[in-house]
Amino acid sequence: MKFKSKRIALLMMGLTLGIHGNVIAANEKIAVFTKNQTNPFFQAFRLGADSAAKQMGASTTHYIPTKPDSIPEQLSSIDDVVVKKPNGIVLIPVDYKAISPGVKKINEANITVVNATDRSEGGNFANFVGAHDYNTAFAAGTALVKALNGKGSVIIVEGVRGTITNTDRVRGFKNAIEKSPDIKLLASQPANYQRLQALQVMENLMQTYPKIDGVLAANDAMATGIAEALEGANRKALIVGINGSKEAVEAIRAGKMLASGDAAPFLQGCFATMSVIRAVRKMPVPKEIIFPAIVVEKATLANYDLPPEKQSCPTWESIVR
Amino acid sequence: MPIFPNLNNSDELKALFYRLFVVIFICIGLSFLSEAFLTVNNLLNVLRQASLLFLMASGLTLVILTAGIDLSVGANVGMSACLAGTVLLATGSTTLGFLTGICCGALIGLANGLLVTLLRLPSFIATYGMLWILHGITYYFMAGATINGFSKSFRMIGSGYWFGIPVPIYMMLFFLISGSIFLRYTIFGQQIYALGANPVTARLSGVPVTRRLLLVYILSGITAGLASLVFLARLNSAEGDIGEALTLPAIAAVLIGGTSLFGGVGTMLGTLIGALILTLVLNGMNILSIDGNLQALVTGVIIIVSVLLDLILRRKSVV
Repeated sequence: MKFKSKRIALLMMGLTLGIHGNVIAANEKIAVFTKNQTNPFFQAFRLGADSAAKQMGASTTHYIPTKPDSIPEQLSSIDDVVVKKPNGIVLIPVDYKAISPGVKKINEANITVVNATDRSEGGNFANFVGAHDYNTAFAAGTALVKALNGKGSVIIVEGVRGTITNTDRVRGFKNAIEKSPDIKLLASQPANYQRLQALQVMENLMQTYPKIDGVLAANDAMATGIAEALEGANRKALIVGINGSKEAVEAIRAGKMLASGDAAPFLQGCFATMSVIRAVRKMPVPKEIIFPAIVVEKATLANYDLPPEKQSCPTWESIVR
Repeated sequence: MPIFPNLNNSDELKALFYRLFVVIFICIGLSFLSEAFLTVNNLLNVLRQASLLFLMASGLTLVILTAGIDLSVGANVGMSACLAGTVLLATGSTTLGFLTGICCGALIGLANGLLVTLLRLPSFIATYGMLWILHGITYYFMAGATINGFSKSFRMIGSGYWFGIPVPIYMMLFFLISGSIFLRYTIFGQQIYALGANPVTARLSGVPVTRRLLLVYILSGITAGLASLVFLARLNSAEGDIGEALTLPAIAAVLIGGTSLFGGVGTMLGTLIGALILTLVLNGMNILSIDGNLQALVTGVIIIVSVLLDLILRRKSVV
C-alpha cells in the first residue's frame, strides 16, 4: 500500500512539474538523434547537447542506432519519438535523402526540429547547425600544402566511396593541393574510414611509391593507421586527418600527425540544442549557424587541452550575433 | 573406428591444388602489370596482411566444418581488443594484456558453444545474437573513445620482425601447421569432420558431439581473441567497432578456400588460400591505383571468378 501511494505521489509531482513547465517554458524534453555510438565525433556532439540543455534548464534523450549508421533504425526511432511528443528534436540524419519520410512525420506532428551536421534534403527545420565538410577538408589540405612549401608527392586515403561526406572531403583535399602546381597527387584510394584498411592501403601504396611526402586521410582513425604503417616501414610523411579527435590531438602533440581538420562537434551539439530550445521558447534563431573550418595543428593545440567531457558550452551571444 | 569420407580423398587435394593455382594466376597477372608487385618486400607485406584475416578464419574454419557458423568473430575481436587494451594500459603488463585478450575470446566462444549445445539454438541465431550483445557491451564500455599507446614489447607480436620476417607470419604458419595436423591426424579433428558430415552417424558411432562442438566454438573464440591482440599490436589503438568490418571477409576466406557451409569438407590450407586471394585483391588494386569507384566491382568479380575457375577446372579433370 505504501508503495502505491508513493507512486501516486510521484505521478502528482510529474503532473505539477508538467504544468509548471508549461507556465515558465522550462524543462523541455529534447530528443537528440546521432548516427552511431562509435565515432568520437558524435560522442562530442552529444556532450555538447547535454551541456547546452543543462545550461538552459532542459533535458535530453539520445537516440542512437545500435547498428552504426543504420537508416531503418533511425527511421523507426523517429516513429517512436513522434508518439512520445518531445518539445524539440535535434536531428543528424544518417542519410540526407533517406531521412525524408522521417522528417515529414516530425513536421506533421508539429514538433520543433533542428537539422545538424548533415543537411537533410527536404523538410521544415527551425534552422541548420553544422560545418562544411568541404571547407574543413580544404583547410586541412591547405595546412599540408603549406607545411610542404608547395612541393612534393601526396596521396589521398578516402572514406566510403559514394557517401556525400567522403565526396566533399576528397573534393576539399583535391582543390587544396591543385592550387600548387608542384604538388603531385600520386593516388587516391578508398579505405572505408577503417583504421586497419587504411594501414593496409598505405602499406600497399608504399610498395609502389618509394617517396611519399604527404598523406591526406578523410578521418583521424585512418590517419593514425597510416602513421603506424609509415612507422613500421621506417618512412616519414606528413599526415593530415579530419575530425580533430582526441587521438589526433595526441598524435599531433607527439609529432606523428601534422594536422586535423576540426568540424567542432562539441560546439555543433551546443548550438543545435540551444537553437531548438530557443525555437521552442519562441526566441529568435538564425536560419543557419555554420562553424568556420578550424585546423588542429601544433600552433592551436592549446585549445584542445580540455577533453569534451570537461567542457561546457559558450554563451549563445558569444557565437551568434 | 568409423570411416571418414573426406580423408585420403584425392578430390580434396585436387580442389586445393586448383585454388592454389588461382592464387598463382593472380600473382603472375599482377607481376606483369606492376614492377612493384613481385618483390620480397611486397610478398612479405601481403603475407602479413593475410595473417590477421587467417587467424580469425582458422578458428572459424573448424566451426564451419561442423556445419555451424560464428557470426560473432568480428564483435569478439572488437571486445577482446578493447578489454585487452584497457588492461595493457592500466597494468603495463604484456602478459596480463595477452591473457585478457585470449581469455575474453575463449569465454565468448564458450558462451556461443553453450547456446548452441545446451540451449540447442541454431548457430546462426546464437552467434548473431552474441554479435549484438558484444557490440552493446563494447560500445557502452568505450563510449566512443579510442584507446592507444601500447608498449614496444607488446607491439612486437604485430609489428615486430624475427630474422627479417614479420612476426604475424610466424603465427599464421604455426596455426596453419598445427591446425592442419589437428584436423587430419588427430581423433579430435576427424571427429569434427564426421560431426559436420553427418551429426547423427557421428553421435551413433560414439563421437561426444556436445563436447566437440563446445571445443570448436571455444577455439574459434580463442583465435578471434588472438587476432584482436595482433590487431592491437599492429595498429597501436582500438575502438569499439574495429572487428565489424572483418566478420564477412573472415567467413568469405573460409568459403573461398573450399570449406563447405554444409560441413564435413574443407582444410586449413584452403582457408589460407582464401585469405590470400582476398588480400591480393586489395594489394593489387592499390598497387595498380585502380579507381576507387571500380574497386568494389573488381573485388566482387575476382571472388566469383576465383571460385568459378576452380569449379570449371575440376569439372574438366573429372571428364
